[in-house]
Amino acid sequence: MRIRVQLRKRRVLAAMLLLGTAPIILLRVFDPATSGIFPPCPIRYLTGLYCPGCGSLRAMHALLHGELARAWAMNPLMIVMLPFVTYGLVSAALLELRGNGLPEIMLPAKWIRAFCVVVVLYAVARNLPLYPFDLLAPGAMLHL
Amino acid sequence: MFCPQCGASNADNAAVCVQCGRNLQAVIPVPPIQTPGVVLPPGASMQNYLVFAILATVFCCPATGIPAIIYAAQANGKLQAGDLAGAKAASDNAKLWCWISFGVGIVGTVLYILLIMLGLLSGLHSS
Repeated sequence: MRIRVQLRKRRVLAAMLLLGTAPIILLRVFDPATSGIFPPCPIRYLTGLYCPGCGSLRAMHALLHGELARAWAMNPLMIVMLPFVTYGLVSAALLELRGNGLPEIMLPAKWIRAFCVVVVLYAVARNLPLYPFDLLAPGAMLHL
Repeated sequence: MFCPQCGASNADNAAVCVQCGRNLQAVIPVPPIQTPGVVLPPGASMQNYLVFAILATVFCCPATGIPAIIYAAQANGKLQAGDLAGAKAASDNAKLWCWISFGVGIVGTVLYILLIMLGLLSGLHSS
């Protein structure tokens, strides 16, 4: 039993290392804007609209090359969320591996619902051809 | 402990209340009240899948990621209200929508790869 648990843990750890490092290596090496190994967003492809996640991969690529301004211009919301998401992912990984995660902060339901509204408004604003909202479109802030 | 009926102070292991005689062993414990910003003790924590819901919204599919975030909010709200069963149900729904988003993302990627391959094949054929 114990050996089986150990084996499962080792598999989980291997899967986590792969899932954690593969995107970082791929995004460091390949530029999503030019390389074509990353599939284009179907929403952008079919509708021509920017969704809330548009520019995330380009932002990660820029971040992995130390270009903070470029990363911010590609998707400011993602850069703001990144520390929280990283904390949550590390916590979830620890929870799986050793049974308890990092201290869990209970966000009030209202805050999470407010975040939903922000995401939707952000999606609308990025697509408005109107200053200053159009600055939120991926890469727009690079041409100020 | 205090008797829930008359409020008299009793020994922690008392079987019945010294004042009113109420059976103290059968007392249903009051669920702890969760307040916003409180750090849950280990064991009492509940996955609300908020992080995965956000990732799903940003990287997979906003249309299915948003329901996941809404359910994550509902899970936290119910946990704060002391409704553990309701929180678990909402948490399960959040998990489901995260998986749906992940599935949509995978299917989209596979379709993309197939389309590329088809394009390559037709390109070879016509040349």
